[in-house]
Amino acid sequence: MAFPHRPDAPELPDFSMLKRLARDQLIYLLEQQHEVDKLYKVESKPAVSSSEQLCFLVRPRIKNMRYIANLVNADKLAGRTRKYKVIFSPQKFYACEMVLEEEGIYGDVSCDEWAFSLLPLDVDLLSMELPEFFRDYFLEGDQRWINTVAQALHLLSTLYGPFPNCYGIGRCAKMSYELWRKLEDEEDGETKGRRPEIGHIFLLDRDMDFVTALCSQVVYEGLVDDTFRIKCGSVDFGPEVTSSDKSLKVLLNAEDKVFNEIRNEHFSNVFGFLSQKARNLQAQYDRRRGMDIKQMKNFVSQELKGLKQEHRLLSLHIGACESIMKKKTKQDFQELIKTEHALLEGFNIRESTSYIEEHIDRQVSPIESLRLMCLLSITENGLIPKDYRSLKTQYLQSYGPEHLLTFSNLRRAGLLTEQAPGDTLTAVESKVSKLVTDKAAGKITDAFSSLAKRSNFRAISKKLNLIPRVDGEYDLKVPRDMAYVFSGAYVPLSCRIIEQVLERRSWQGLDEVVRLLNCSELAFTDMTKEDKASSESLRLILVVFLGGCTFSEISALRFLGREKGYRFIFLTTAVTNSARLMEAMSEVKA
Amino acid sequence: MDWDLKEELRDCLVAAAPYGGPIALLRNPWRKEKAASVRPVLEIYSASGMPLASLLWKSGPVVSLGWSAEEELLCVQEDGVVLVYGLHGDFRRHFSMGNEVLQNRVLDARIFHTEFGSGVAILTGAHRFTLSANVGDLKLRRMPEVPGLQSAPSCWTTLCQDRVAHILLAVGPDLYLLDHAACSSVTPPGLAPGVSSFLQMAVSFTYRHLALFTDTGYIWMGTASLKEKLCEFNCNIRAPPKQMVWCSRPRSKERAVVVAWERRLMVVGDAPESIQFVLDEDSYLVPELDGVRIFSRSTHEFLHEVPVASEEIFKIASMAPGALLLEAQKEYEKESQKADEYLREIQELGQLTQAVQQCIEAAGHEHRPDMQKSLLRAASFGKCFLDRFPPDSFVRMCQDLRVLNAVRDYHIGIPLTYSQYKQLTIQVLLDRLVLRRLYPLAIQICEYLRLPEVQGVSRILAHWACYKVQQKDVSDEDVARAINQKLGDTPGVSYSDIAARAYGCGRTELAIKLLEYEPRSGEQVPLLLKMKRSKLALSKAIESGDTDLVFTVLLHLKNELNRGDFFMTLRNQPMALSLYRQRIEGRVAALQTAADAFYKAKNEFAAKATEDQMRLLRLQRRLEDELGGRFLDLSLHDTVTTLILGGHNKRAEQLARDFRIPDKRLWWLKLTALADLEDWEELEKFSKSKKSPIGYLPFVEICMKQHNKYEAKKYTSRVGPEQKVKALLLVGDVAQAADVAIEHRNEAELSLVLSHCTGATDGATADKIQRARAQAQKK
Repeated sequence: MAFPHRPDAPELPDFSMLKRLARDQLIYLLEQQHEVDKLYKVESKPAVSSSEQLCFLVRPRIKNMRYIANLVNADKLAGRTRKYKVIFSPQKFYACEMVLEEEGIYGDVSCDEWAFSLLPLDVDLLSMELPEFFRDYFLEGDQRWINTVAQALHLLSTLYGPFPNCYGIGRCAKMSYELWRKLEDEEDGETKGRRPEIGHIFLLDRDMDFVTALCSQVVYEGLVDDTFRIKCGSVDFGPEVTSSDKSLKVLLNAEDKVFNEIRNEHFSNVFGFLSQKARNLQAQYDRRRGMDIKQMKNFVSQELKGLKQEHRLLSLHIGACESIMKKKTKQDFQELIKTEHALLEGFNIRESTSYIEEHIDRQVSPIESLRLMCLLSITENGLIPKDYRSLKTQYLQSYGPEHLLTFSNLRRAGLLTEQAPGDTLTAVESKVSKLVTDKAAGKITDAFSSLAKRSNFRAISKKLNLIPRVDGEYDLKVPRDMAYVFSGAYVPLSCRIIEQVLERRSWQGLDEVVRLLNCSELAFTDMTKEDKASSESLRLILVVFLGGCTFSEISALRFLGREKGYRFIFLTTAVTNSARLMEAMSEVKA
Repeated sequence: MDWDLKEELRDCLVAAAPYGGPIALLRNPWRKEKAASVRPVLEIYSASGMPLASLLWKSGPVVSLGWSAEEELLCVQEDGVVLVYGLHGDFRRHFSMGNEVLQNRVLDARIFHTEFGSGVAILTGAHRFTLSANVGDLKLRRMPEVPGLQSAPSCWTTLCQDRVAHILLAVGPDLYLLDHAACSSVTPPGLAPGVSSFLQMAVSFTYRHLALFTDTGYIWMGTASLKEKLCEFNCNIRAPPKQMVWCSRPRSKERAVVVAWERRLMVVGDAPESIQFVLDEDSYLVPELDGVRIFSRSTHEFLHEVPVASEEIFKIASMAPGALLLEAQKEYEKESQKADEYLREIQELGQLTQAVQQCIEAAGHEHRPDMQKSLLRAASFGKCFLDRFPPDSFVRMCQDLRVLNAVRDYHIGIPLTYSQYKQLTIQVLLDRLVLRRLYPLAIQICEYLRLPEVQGVSRILAHWACYKVQQKDVSDEDVARAINQKLGDTPGVSYSDIAARAYGCGRTELAIKLLEYEPRSGEQVPLLLKMKRSKLALSKAIESGDTDLVFTVLLHLKNELNRGDFFMTLRNQPMALSLYRQRIEGRVAALQTAADAFYKAKNEFAAKATEDQMRLLRLQRRLEDELGGRFLDLSLHDTVTTLILGGHNKRAEQLARDFRIPDKRLWWLKLTALADLEDWEELEKFSKSKKSPIGYLPFVEICMKQHNKYEAKKYTSRVGPEQKVKALLLVGDVAQAADVAIEHRNEAELSLVLSHCTGATDGATADKIQRARAQAQKK
């Protein structure tokens, strides 16, 4: 790796336990209990299986219940009798049972629960694989998963000891935290007295920082996710990558030696690195010339396999890079990045707006257009009414009128808003401030700005120094700060908040930022004065992203960890990226 | 006995529950000579005669009284209705034994206990039997007819064999056994001849043995299956006995029957002699597991076979190890050396362990605390000389005795023996204490025995609270506070259960107050719904953050309220509303309604957009009709593109005008579409139609995308100066691009061109740029 860990970096806890736990539970549920012999995907088409018993492993969604109901009713019509078993994961909801009852099949199925919530995707990455969390909570206001989050935290604390220091920001973070505490209190005694293995926990709502999630990713892992979509830690490389006629499913984690070294690198370094690697590999292959028989035997038996493996991976990643390059050049990636950076820094807004307009007019991609509009809205505290109207009209003309609902969703979630008709508010403001002293006037302005729930990105950016001042070129090969994940143009807000809080060990001194985030009530710290935590564990930090996190954020925090001698562990409801966020908000006909 | 009876026991209907249970008396039963106007009184006393309840009997004539296993009083009326009362005289429920019984009246009834619970057997006026094996789960069974039965049987009883209840009845010299299917005649083996009728029969507590008393004063004892005779006895008393019950100990070889006449009590068994007692008063016998309780107006006694351990120890001149140990301990206390002698004697025989065990066991059967103490002291003394004597039997006995002494107390009045206690188990004993509302004692016992809180203290507290909410004279506030103070956060106490009880008593407000203390919303909400406090339930459910609960309430509300009220309720709960939308309402399809709604909401933009959508839809339908192809559900942009691709340029322009498509969009649209068609001629015409609002770089780009360098070059000259370099590079004219860049003296453009210079072909150009750069720097 380009920058190895500091020698004193703490060891990561062993998450294989979670994996084992999940696997054993599932195998038990499927085999011992229900004797499953074949797996199908739950779909609305009739099941072809001829077995006597059908077992459904589903999320507790009403849609899924309807699928099952259709299936069972179809069987009934055909005069078949089978046994049906529905396993809900992570928990069963009463509403689901109601649906089954409405459909008149409640008596035909039996229900079970599989309380599985944590999937270790990598040595430092746990995912709850709840992509629906984002829409459910941040759009629909549905709090059903908070309990699941709290359960997951509870499970972690029973396995790895209590967390002595807790921080968090956001409504959901607070609720989850409180619910989790309640769970702990109910079952106290279990974690008490255990040595904490993880010193800090940081809970963060996705809506604290939409900006980072909306930016195009340029770190290798993020790019792969943006381009090919990483699902559950694995990716499908199509024929254009594998340079054969088959596509290939590849697991992307720390076990892939090549990937592990480039995942956190800025894309511009990756090619160079890979070609260097290829040369090294060749050199190692070349060593076999001039070997005697014995050495050759050694080589074949010990090294060759590793080299072959490495070779295969290398060619895959080179293929992936090429494919990414091709796609990105086609999309005018440079222009796009330039516009994004302009938006982040807040200059040439007009130009950016017309770029977005052109983007929409050319029907480049509905999701991308939406993303740029959101980015514009958040960085500019909402669009000015004229732009809002015209962009919306353009968008509807380009991508279809049903997106009217998408816009309504975006407004509700605070992603794409219209500036309140400025004059009325400012008029009142100026009238009032005339009557009071200067100091009070400032307060009134603040009050007004918080009145209209807007993102105050620009002020936060200044306060936290998110746009690094650089003289000359930013050297992406030797990054100096977390901004490298966005080509040196922007330090991810979420990561910066985490860095600042960890440095201060509290929210002290960040009042202004918290206020700007509209979270004055929702930032919390909880420190237990316990000396039991070893210095090693105090440098292990569990970061919980409620609503998903991006690979760029992970890379940035990994970088921060290396710089400061921390290790970060990530727990996210799902790994996300800008496209997934936008899709979650989109209303498109199914 | 503490009671103050005005009448003789013989004038009353008497029922006493086993296991030291309560006694019920129904005075003044319906006798012909009494005036019907006097209402009888039903009284319930504890076993020590403490009055528990007294109530005027207002229903019909009662034939028989009995206690169920749950200590509920069953009163069988003449008309076959069974009334069930609690220990404190509170009416619980009633049930009927069926029409047949109602018509023929009840002649006689028995309450009996089986392993399922308590049963009722009834002999009707038509000499038929009806029985139910479990009054908790009432199933009536009409027994088959006895052939030729003209008069009431002289005596009868219920037997319970193989989990089925039978009836054994005697008519003259014959015995009949009734089961569900048939009536069979039976003869006890080895019955002495000359029997002309049976006067009394008794079944043992465990249904294992049967005793028959004949008119010749002869008593036959045998197994209940009537297959084996155990012994017989002739007492030569021909008067029919008042009561006859078995008195034997489980697992004991000795068998004995107690027969009672007016003033005489006789214990007969497998011996030529009988034991006789004189009864001073009118007495009543209660069969128990290990003996017989005998109570009268003034006394309450327990008659039982002396247990082996006690016998061994207290037999006169006994040399049993236990007896020696007791003696040794006594001597030890007198500081006499004899203690050592006795001990030695036991130890020489190697029976010390046995001695200790005997002492412990005997202590269990003692009723007097001083005797218990001295026996236990002896046991503990003996234990000192033993290496490895497991202490738990000793400890447990101490604990058990302490509990037993507590409940045997006069004020509590549950005279349990040790064997009964073991049979009953501590849980049931606690239940019975709770039933008698002796909460403090029950809690003390729990604490003393260190029972887990959930089973012990919490459960009792919960019962207490349930009792408390029934006190109607105390205000809601006070009750709620008192309960919360006492219960606090005791684990295992469910406030919702208590609240449910309060609701059952009609105290809704109190129930709501109690629910406030319930920490689990999942428990709160269903009860609130039951109490029809749906709105409160909804806000509680929302507070809990549990989506599932909210749905539960919503579905409930939807059924309960009419549509308008339902939505009004939802309006105040945004979260519920959003959930409801997601779950129940499909998306409103009618766009017109939507547009109207948008107008009402003053969302002009959305309304316009919806109207545009409707207009577009209509147009698309027309286009499909006229031109064929698919138009429906395309966006406006795609519709226009499709039109151009289909060569309907006029239509496309018309549409663009109608929908006021901005120029920029139209140009992009046309450009892309024409390039896709590769209609270069039309494209050129279009480019010259007027000045392009999007510049000409896109033309170059699009042409190059179709790999048409020739066409692309046509437009490069028209690209504006600031984009010229880019356009030239796009078509691959590096040299010219370099010239333009040098002309512009633009550093960024120069490096851009330089990066496009590849290999030998562009060597000269690269040099040129380098030179220009150097020159620029010089300046």
